[in-house]
Amino acid sequence: MTATIHTSGLGRRFADRQVLTGVDLEVQRGEIFGLLGPDGAGKTTLMQLLAAILDPSEGQATVLGFDTVRQAAEVNARVGYMSQGFTLYDRLSVLENLQFAARIRGVEAQDFASRSHELLTMAGLQAHLDRPAGKLSGGMRKKLSLCANLIHAPPLLLLDEPSLGVDPLSRRELWQLLRRYQQHGSTVVVSTPYMDEAEYCDRLAFLDQGRVLAVDTPAQLRAQVHGRIYEIQTARSIRVQAILRDASEVLNLQWLADRLRIQLHVGAELPPATLAQLDGLATLTPAEPGLEEAFIALSTATAAAPQPVSPAVMETQGGEVRAERLSVRFGDFTTVDRVSVNVPPGEVIGWLGPNGAGKTTLIKVFCGLLLPSDGEAFVAGLSVSRQARALRSRIGYMSQRFSLYPDLTVAENLRFFAGAYGLGGKRRRQTIEWASGMTALTGMEARRVSELSAAVRQRLALACSILHSPAVLFLDEPTSGVDPLNRQRFWQLIQTLASGGMTVFVTTHYLEEASYCHRLGLMHQGRLVALGTLEQLRQALRLPADAGMEAVFLGHIEQAQRELAS
Amino acid sequence: MNPRRIAAVATKEAKEVLRDPITVGVAMIMPLIMLLLFGYAITLDVDDITLGVLDEDRTPASRQLTEAFTASGVFHLERELTAPHAVEQALQRGEIRLALIIPPGFERALTRHEPSPVQLLVDGTYSATATLVSSHALAIASGFGHAAGPPALQLETRVWYNPSLSSVHTVVPGLYAVILMAFPPLLTALALVREKETGTIAQIYASPLSSVEFLAGKLIPYAIIAFVQMAMVIAVGFLWFGVPFRGSVAFLLAISLLYVLCTLGIGLLVSAVTRTQLVALLAVLIVTLMPSILFSGMLFPIFTMPYVVQLYTLAFPGRYFVDISRGVVLKGVGLEVLWPSITIVAVYTLLVFALAAWRLKKKVA
Amino acid sequence: MRLSSLLHKELIQFFRDPVVLFLIFWLYTIEVVICAYALGMEMRDLPLAVVDADESPASRHLIDDFVAGGNFRLVAHLRDVAAAEPYLERGEAQAVLVIPVDFERELQRGGGQALQFLVDGSNANTAAVARGYALQTVEAFQMRQGTLDERQLAAVAPQLRIWYNPDQTNVSFTVLAMIALAGLMIGVVHPAASIVREKEVGTIEQLMVTPIRRGELFIAKTVPTLLIGLVAVLPSLALVGWFGVPVRGSLPLFFALTALFLLSAIGLGVLVAAVSRTLQQALLLAFFGLFPLMFLSGTIVPVESMPNLLQQLSLASPLRHYLDITLGIFLKGTGMEILWPHALALVAIGMPLYLVAWLIFRRIK
Repeated sequence: MTATIHTSGLGRRFADRQVLTGVDLEVQRGEIFGLLGPDGAGKTTLMQLLAAILDPSEGQATVLGFDTVRQAAEVNARVGYMSQGFTLYDRLSVLENLQFAARIRGVEAQDFASRSHELLTMAGLQAHLDRPAGKLSGGMRKKLSLCANLIHAPPLLLLDEPSLGVDPLSRRELWQLLRRYQQHGSTVVVSTPYMDEAEYCDRLAFLDQGRVLAVDTPAQLRAQVHGRIYEIQTARSIRVQAILRDASEVLNLQWLADRLRIQLHVGAELPPATLAQLDGLATLTPAEPGLEEAFIALSTATAAAPQPVSPAVMETQGGEVRAERLSVRFGDFTTVDRVSVNVPPGEVIGWLGPNGAGKTTLIKVFCGLLLPSDGEAFVAGLSVSRQARALRSRIGYMSQRFSLYPDLTVAENLRFFAGAYGLGGKRRRQTIEWASGMTALTGMEARRVSELSAAVRQRLALACSILHSPAVLFLDEPTSGVDPLNRQRFWQLIQTLASGGMTVFVTTHYLEEASYCHRLGLMHQGRLVALGTLEQLRQALRLPADAGMEAVFLGHIEQAQRELAS
Repeated sequence: MNPRRIAAVATKEAKEVLRDPITVGVAMIMPLIMLLLFGYAITLDVDDITLGVLDEDRTPASRQLTEAFTASGVFHLERELTAPHAVEQALQRGEIRLALIIPPGFERALTRHEPSPVQLLVDGTYSATATLVSSHALAIASGFGHAAGPPALQLETRVWYNPSLSSVHTVVPGLYAVILMAFPPLLTALALVREKETGTIAQIYASPLSSVEFLAGKLIPYAIIAFVQMAMVIAVGFLWFGVPFRGSVAFLLAISLLYVLCTLGIGLLVSAVTRTQLVALLAVLIVTLMPSILFSGMLFPIFTMPYVVQLYTLAFPGRYFVDISRGVVLKGVGLEVLWPSITIVAVYTLLVFALAAWRLKKKVA
Repeated sequence: MRLSSLLHKELIQFFRDPVVLFLIFWLYTIEVVICAYALGMEMRDLPLAVVDADESPASRHLIDDFVAGGNFRLVAHLRDVAAAEPYLERGEAQAVLVIPVDFERELQRGGGQALQFLVDGSNANTAAVARGYALQTVEAFQMRQGTLDERQLAAVAPQLRIWYNPDQTNVSFTVLAMIALAGLMIGVVHPAASIVREKEVGTIEQLMVTPIRRGELFIAKTVPTLLIGLVAVLPSLALVGWFGVPVRGSLPLFFALTALFLLSAIGLGVLVAAVSRTLQQALLLAFFGLFPLMFLSGTIVPVESMPNLLQQLSLASPLRHYLDITLGIFLKGTGMEILWPHALALVAIGMPLYLVAWLIFRRIK
């Protein structure tokens, strides 16, 4: 019995860029094999090589016993491959998309009838057969894509970040589909940016800069960083961070809402001098490592990545965000349903919920982009419906698309947005200097945005939205598409801004990010179903103290669904 | 080649197109608009050309000359001018296109059988109009006073194929070629590149579909649309504009099917080599739309172009189809005469498809 | 501050936008050159076949006369008329001159006789021109042979002069018409592209949360086009010199009226942007939606050749007025005292368009 996938010395270069080097992998039949790695590590290229839609520059790969170059057609005919972008035809209905996928792969009518019924029922799409794919939610689209790739019952499924931008609820359903499929003896290779998903994999390969740095089970990978993680409770977070930053033994520092978490270098211990400094300020306790920490330890970029400058450079007059029975309706459809919330200045509030729960709509109302149908909202003391103009210079907004001008350079984008906020002359120069230093953009001023990585664009978008020191900063899925290390760096910035007094209102699909937020709001079908600290949300469901964010999130959503049903 | 897979692609593509009413609407209505505009507007039958007369003779003979102009039906007397500077002004303003200046002593010269000079000033800014105006004016003026019998040598012109010299008869068959060159490639050019941009093409690559099957499937719905366009345009030309149809309708339809495949193939080829819809669109506009109007011989005869430009026109299938369509429609000829042009279109078509299939290797890079 | 930032940004983006830069380059230079060379030429070198049944010195003289001026190019000597048919069918000859037996003898005797001239009418325009050339040649031939009698010679001797375009080529007209057309395209495409781009990237939403006012954004989206449209004309002016097109009027006036014209075009561009979601849709609309507008302007077909209804409609096309202005300034040297009605028309069309554009722009999401 040979392995489902076998590669040796696999490499690929594009023009003068070596994207993948010397990949030796072996994936066994029936495995769920995960690919993990930062942006640009070569995950997508590897997937394409395995799907035989890209030829390697060196080395070779055997997939299902076929050579991916000489027998590409054989490989194509057997694998299911789900690429990162859109894989559906928007104008075709759910059923038509599925039919197309089946017919080009020569699935017999009988098989199609039984399999499509099974798959669509499992994916919960049975009720939407005639809906055009373009009108499905992100989660439904991904599920349908997966169904389309399972319709010919391929012995091997290659999934490139299938759950990117998909909410936790849909993600769970997606994985249930995958599990069922795997039980039939098929093999799955999946790349993911979500650590909770990586945990589900049987084995993981960690890719960085085109090389495979480690292949192991999640538990083994975590074990590698065992003993290097500490949690620090402190009332004087800023001071403690300054001390820790000076210690060369600290590889990484994570600033969470209520505590700090550090990772030490291999074999390192905090020196007595540092411990003495921390004495009385903070309490250190060893902690269980997460997969994210294993990721950061393996990532060669950790040391090289630009560390944001030390916090509290700027003091901002924070503003509160207040909504009173706020509703937004489009025709008959209520996107935001009587939401009341009060966010005090300087708080980081995380806003979670499935796709289509109304999070983005709510942010748009707060930013004065949409008028509420009912109720009132005040941001920094200004009414969003009556004082929208005055509001604009008091808020910052960063959309999930990192809305920047791709044809302008970093510096030009900064200058433009500073000008848009009416900043000029010396003031503009200083502000730009501050913002680009803070977001570690110094040195990249002359680069065009179109050639920047997602992580840099994300920091630039943040820089552009804080140039005018807004009282409230709204971030709509600011970390989507960015790898774990850079997501951590980004949150570091958010904490810094909040500690300076800025109120931060942020939506996210990454549940692990909830621990960066002071409080969380959970939205479902337009309603605010839970609001409080992570601990409060846990207690409301009577969950144990070590219950993960996912359990908390899903628990509340299910509860809301039950209430809605009754 | 697996017919079931081709059918799958074809039905998918057809559904997608039909659910995009704007594209279908543009594809169906634009050719008609183009046909109507060209059919009505391009005409040599100039009439109502504005004429200004400066009559310094003021005799019965001079009045007769003016009448000869207005009676022709081509000119109508817009202004009676009184002074030479008024002539210039009227021409400059564009109030008149032709000025007739009859000098004093016109009648006297005429009766003495001396050459009696009159001046004809033509506004040359619209050069196409100017040519027509001057030839008409010359004919009227030279014909004036020809009391004697016919000249010894008479040129007896016989116009074949289009005796009335109707420009509609010229333009409409030419338009068949232009319309089929301008619109079908626009549809196919976006067909592949759209899948590239949205990313759905990766699914196609990673499926058992071969690139030939994929291209063939894509082609079928567009070929049907283009063929309907063709039939529609021919019908309108025949029924509405009364363009004669001397050759075989079936023959023309058969050849136009070949030509449509060729133009669709050009669109597919553009689509196969470009990466974004925008670039594909620009490329198609430049590769097909413009040359099909300018270099097909539809409006501007090719033999008058500079030699280099003439060579350039050889690269566009439109010019061959203009020959074919005029040949069948106006001259009533068939394969026996048109085989060279048809062969070239056929070879062109094969070449385009071979190139497209070769370029569309099932690889992302 | 806000406005200057916006304007600065727009200018940087303009210089980095390969699509718009390419379009400007193409429209203002390449297309002008191609069209001037391809369409600007006089109709010459018409392929002519000859059936010379006389084979006398006189018949050879006549044939020489046909070929000498360069109007005709001899492609074949044929034995009889029957042999001529395939030549016309295949399009290898545009016309056939048939010289009867005893041509020379009859000519010397002074009796009336007929020369046959067969013309391929499938291109009506070419046929008409060929007929005209043949008539002229035969007339000149008779003059030299002295076969026209006294009285016929003594009739009216018209002196034709074509003003503003004495050598009667199409070059001046084509060059200027293409420049006017380019002005329309850029005026429409640039604002449409820059607005639609912001929609595509999502930056328009980002702008809405900044204190930038709608009015400021509108100015920033439209004023740079005005400048670009004026600057883009400069390379074409070099081409104007290259092709020897006269500049008789005032260039500052030309620029001022160009700016006025651009207002209408920009208004249209904003409207195009309002209804398109992607740059590609905007381009399609600009090319095809504007087709009637271009057609009715006189750039492709002279307005005077159109039916009355279309002539009336053409008054609503800003391009028509701009074309008259351009031709007037360059070729006729006219000034404001004559062009004011056109300028007024541009204001009357442009202002409401610009206003409607603003009203719609305010609502763009």
